[in-house]
Amino acid sequence: MAAEGAVKAALQVAQALETIVSGCVGPEGRQVLCTKPTGEVLLSRDGGRLLAALHLEHPLARVMVACVSSHLRKTGDGAKTFIIFLCHLLRGLEAVTDKEKDSLISKNIQTHGRYWKTCCRWKFISQALLTFQTQILDYVVDRYLSRHFLSVFSSPTKERTLCRSSFELLLEAYFGGRVGRNNHSFISQLMCDYFFKCTACEGGFEEAFELVDDRFGELSVGVTGLPVSDSRILAGLVLHRDFSVYRPAGGDIRTALVTETIQPLFSTSGSEFILNSEAQFQTSQLWIMERTKAIMKSLQNHNVKLLLSSVKQPDLVIYYAELNGVTVVECLSSEEISLIQRITGLSPLVLPQASSQYEISSTALVKFCKPLVLRSKRYVHLGLISTCSFIPHCLVLCGPVQGLVEQHEAALHGAFKMLRQLFKDLDLSYLTQTSDQNYVPSPLIYKNRESNQLADTVNGSIQRPHQDPVEKNEGELAKTHTYLNTYSNSVVPSIELETHIFRSTPKVTPAGTQQTDEALGCLSANKTRIMDVCDLFIDGDPTTESTAENTRIEASFENVSIPKMGGKGSMLPVRCKSSELGTSRSCCFSSISAGCVLPVGGHFEILLHYYLLNYVKKCQQSEATMVGTLIANALLGIPKILYKSKRGNQSFPQVYVRALHALQTNQPMGGNQTGLESVSGKYQLLTSVLQCLAKIVSIDLVIGIKRQPQEVYDQESEEEL
Amino acid sequence: MALNGTEVDDFSWEPPTEAETKVLQARRERQNRISSLMGDYLLRGYRMLGDTCADCGTILLQNKQRQTYCVACQELDSDVDKDNPALNAQAALSQAREHQLASAPDPPSGTRPAPQPPVPRPEHCEGAAAGLQAAQGPAPPAGPPNADVMASTREALLQKLAWASAELGSSTSLEASIQLCGLIRACAEALQSLQQLQH
Repeated sequence: MAAEGAVKAALQVAQALETIVSGCVGPEGRQVLCTKPTGEVLLSRDGGRLLAALHLEHPLARVMVACVSSHLRKTGDGAKTFIIFLCHLLRGLEAVTDKEKDSLISKNIQTHGRYWKTCCRWKFISQALLTFQTQILDYVVDRYLSRHFLSVFSSPTKERTLCRSSFELLLEAYFGGRVGRNNHSFISQLMCDYFFKCTACEGGFEEAFELVDDRFGELSVGVTGLPVSDSRILAGLVLHRDFSVYRPAGGDIRTALVTETIQPLFSTSGSEFILNSEAQFQTSQLWIMERTKAIMKSLQNHNVKLLLSSVKQPDLVIYYAELNGVTVVECLSSEEISLIQRITGLSPLVLPQASSQYEISSTALVKFCKPLVLRSKRYVHLGLISTCSFIPHCLVLCGPVQGLVEQHEAALHGAFKMLRQLFKDLDLSYLTQTSDQNYVPSPLIYKNRESNQLADTVNGSIQRPHQDPVEKNEGELAKTHTYLNTYSNSVVPSIELETHIFRSTPKVTPAGTQQTDEALGCLSANKTRIMDVCDLFIDGDPTTESTAENTRIEASFENVSIPKMGGKGSMLPVRCKSSELGTSRSCCFSSISAGCVLPVGGHFEILLHYYLLNYVKKCQQSEATMVGTLIANALLGIPKILYKSKRGNQSFPQVYVRALHALQTNQPMGGNQTGLESVSGKYQLLTSVLQCLAKIVSIDLVIGIKRQPQEVYDQESEEEL
Repeated sequence: MALNGTEVDDFSWEPPTEAETKVLQARRERQNRISSLMGDYLLRGYRMLGDTCADCGTILLQNKQRQTYCVACQELDSDVDKDNPALNAQAALSQAREHQLASAPDPPSGTRPAPQPPVPRPEHCEGAAAGLQAAQGPAPPAGPPNADVMASTREALLQKLAWASAELGSSTSLEASIQLCGLIRACAEALQSLQQLQH
């Protein structure tokens, strides 16, 4: 059958990719030599680069590599683990379905019926995978795994001061699996220094990471021909340009930014300029010269000594700049311009058309402006004064060859992406069974992270650690829980996996009548299955930004039709649709808080494996059991490969048995602290792999086409116009 | 674990027998070898195509000269062919042995070792022939051949020849006869090359 063929083919492809990738995974991994289709040779340990360098025409292989690339674009980590995990899952799936296939064949069903049965079975499996990932995985991670989490922050509440040693361990582990063995400690130290130089103030992490991640190309300079140990950090910004005019000036220099030529043109685009005689031409030229002179004069009057331009300025401007002692840098890229704008708050000058006196409003001060020579290339080194929480520093990365420099740049960029994800909360949501029929939800306040709004209905703010069950106050609103459905679409997503991974907490204002309609508006996507969000959320201490604590937020949902809701004044939709389930369920929102880490070496995998198997034993539904066992067994594949080369006490079976013993006797899991890894990164990887698998499994038929289908343009409407 | 809703009788599934386990194990190892070979070729710059081989179902690779290449068919022995007696000497031997064991229902312990030696192992005699040929090869540049060595070799060959012809006369199985003919041919060739050496 076509769908089975897809899984078998996917397994073959995945196994081939796994053999490539398993040689370089982990700190013990070695470099892999790969010949690219262009003939170049790539020596790398970076999984993403290797996979992208392979010449793959098989459609399933391309699907897998595309999934890996999109995952890496978001998280910066986990390409090799992705492939290994996917391969194990496919193996497990094939083993499970092989057993069933025999029994199916022996039943002697009609071929057509059997075909549909198998197709539906694969769709069923795909749905089961997604349901498991969205429901049960969140639950297991939140309830069981969260007690094992460590944190990179030294004090989890109030001020999030970063613990330098754990941060270093985190980076060591990251680079240990990615950069060659002789360089990785140097690179991780470099990154650590860079980070601490750039973020002097507390709490400015997210902005700093975002800026560096977006503009990494502008914040780093690659130099070939020097040893790696020559890499260093420079304060300020290095522009990848040389001076057009350089006039050294002392002290703070006033700077202006222009995005158009100072010299006016004969005509602007879209208008015509008609000349009737030579005299007119001469007059126009003269006028242009005078205007340029006037603008440069006014720049001089405002004491602007540095002009940064995104376009090439004409010779006249350069002449006047030289005359007036103004330094000019031209042809800056738009990314550099936007970076300068973000850091200094400088906005480009608007050169007015008419008046002769120009008020130059937006200028900024820079501390210094000097040429920088690296090897044989010249750069401009600016000492910007920052208005945001990011203190600009630039990385100069040296390497003997271009390839190595590029690899280090990519590794550092990936590290920033990884850190950006680490310092964000990852939201989890799941349904829990509440067997207690008298369960009464309390009126809870929602704490919006952007705005601290306290509702009046709260009876004191409750600060609770993540393990304790939610305290229930007596509520004004007494509701009974009914069956609810939180996802309106469990459709297999397209390549943009990241949109499905993150679920931001709904931006809902506190309890109030007029606001419930807003809440309805943003959350009820589907008219047929309507969720009325009666927004009752528990608030932690609203004055802190402490998302390091796992503040449990609980919401109760009701199933009410929209027309009834519109007329209601209060938040009490008393009528509920009949519950289809006997037991009531409540939806829990939680999160993996920022900074959660676990020790490296398969801790996450072994923990999740153990708790999943425990959960599966108690579970009654057969498909959840099947998927849970599949995932739990596949998870062990990763530590098996990591410990492949170890013997004796450090071999995988020993480690596994020790870990199990520790878990069963509630002791802390030992483990030498050689490194830390981000929990949210691991969790996101897991969900990405499950979604990729669900996509592969639901492929029924692969149609080969010779070229891309042409886009059909709607010609008719244009013709009518 | 029922996936499609129909109740599969779990109790009807039995663990695989030893033979089946071996087959599964062999198949898994073969798959692993194929994957590692494929990974190697991919790293060398081969292209992974979207088609599969018609014979064995492995994914095809294409090199820079645009020639398609199936890893399993070209490099590994076929999974199935090694059990075909017409194509593989080992398989033929094992089949012949099985026939003999089956035709002697109560093999007394005394006569047990007797059936074994008369069936010669083809690679043994081929190896012997090859070894002899190799011995002949470097001998000429080494100088005049040692007469004693030649005589003893000749003696051994003639002995084997005599024994093989006796066995051939008494043999009833087709495969054994073919093997014996092969041995006789090899011995004759060896004798011929020995004679050439002497002269």
